[in-house]
Amino acid sequence: MDGFFIIVIVFLLLNIALGLFRVWRGPTVADRLLTTQLFGTTGMAILLVMAGYLKDLTLLNVAITFNVLAVLLVIGLVQVWKKKKGETP
Amino acid sequence: MSVLIDSILAILAVYLALQCLLAPRLTQTVFIFFAFGLALALAWVRLGAVDVAITEAAIASGFLGVLFLDALRDFSFTAPNKRENLEAVHDPLSRNDTKSLLLPRLALWLGLGLFLLIALEAVWKIPDGGGLTAAAEALLPESGVEHPVTAVLLNFRAYDTWLEIGVILLGLLAIFAVGGIKLYRKPGVAADDPLLRQVILFFTPVLFLFGAFLLYFGKTGPGGAFQAAVLWGAIGILLHLGGRPVFSVIPRWLGQLLLTVGLVFFLVLGFLLMAGGGALFEYPPAHAGVLILIVETLAAISIAAALTAIFANLNQMKKEEPNEIESTN
Repeated sequence: MDGFFIIVIVFLLLNIALGLFRVWRGPTVADRLLTTQLFGTTGMAILLVMAGYLKDLTLLNVAITFNVLAVLLVIGLVQVWKKKKGETP
Repeated sequence: MSVLIDSILAILAVYLALQCLLAPRLTQTVFIFFAFGLALALAWVRLGAVDVAITEAAIASGFLGVLFLDALRDFSFTAPNKRENLEAVHDPLSRNDTKSLLLPRLALWLGLGLFLLIALEAVWKIPDGGGLTAAAEALLPESGVEHPVTAVLLNFRAYDTWLEIGVILLGLLAIFAVGGIKLYRKPGVAADDPLLRQVILFFTPVLFLFGAFLLYFGKTGPGGAFQAAVLWGAIGILLHLGGRPVFSVIPRWLGQLLLTVGLVFFLVLGFLLMAGGGALFEYPPAHAGVLILIVETLAAISIAAALTAIFANLNQMKKEEPNEIESTN
């Protein structure tokens, strides 16, 4: 079972590494922000799998913290950048 | 096998840190920093420091995230070009004043070098048996909490935590000093976006509940005042973004009370304990648990208020004076 957990974690980590490409390229801020949302989700998945792997349920707290604060970024982006006249981020 | 995970994490963290410093555009830097925060949080989890991981998740991905986005917008105002404008900011030193920067640079290098040497020296002689771990765990029953990290932070080294709350307040005062206290003056325009309103209505209780949970959970496991404070502060930031700045709705004295109550209560408690014949933060073991919970709650309220105020003030300061950054560069 441990081997399975490790494979999943490594796969998800590589996913994050791939997502970096979009942060690097992403023409607009919104593209980059969406990638960080992907990072947040993937990070949560990694934390959940790790909670199984390390048998430490307190890791779920880290995952929830990531989760509830992710919305702050999106709203922050929309509200803060909306004030730029006429242009969507 | 888990070496594989650790090595990927290590490579990712170092690579992201380098990219953070070297990326040619400011937007890239900011968003790579988020990824860096995630990699660090995962690394802390692997190292077994779940407390630090939660703090990293809360501060790096939540609070710093909005602050950076806000800063990014301010920078994009100053440059004329629309999309590629963020490159210019990255190279603020023009050629002719490199000479005047020689001394500060030298001082910075010397300071960093010295710091590195001290760090190396500290790493070199880690005491056998894990330092003070055994001593802290031996006294755990007297501390009033069951989680060693909380015991150290709020009982054995309460002095440090108290000063940390002070540092956050000091940061807020510095922002006041630079930008003026505009925060109390003008109520914003309430957002008319129904989606935004629903999101705020939904997330406010969730953030509050989870913050309260982390605060209380700090007694037995990873969690505590600072993590809870970021979640509660996120409520204030959400409300501010929704056009209802908390500090312009509540009366001024209440705002000031919220900002200082944690620091003041800590101080009064410390001196009361001293008057009772103990040391500065020497809680009586019988009441330590309750005292720590009260201190933590008030500290969390204060930090949350300070974080909200920091964001609100920075957000408003630059909205009114979009050219300020250009002149200071």
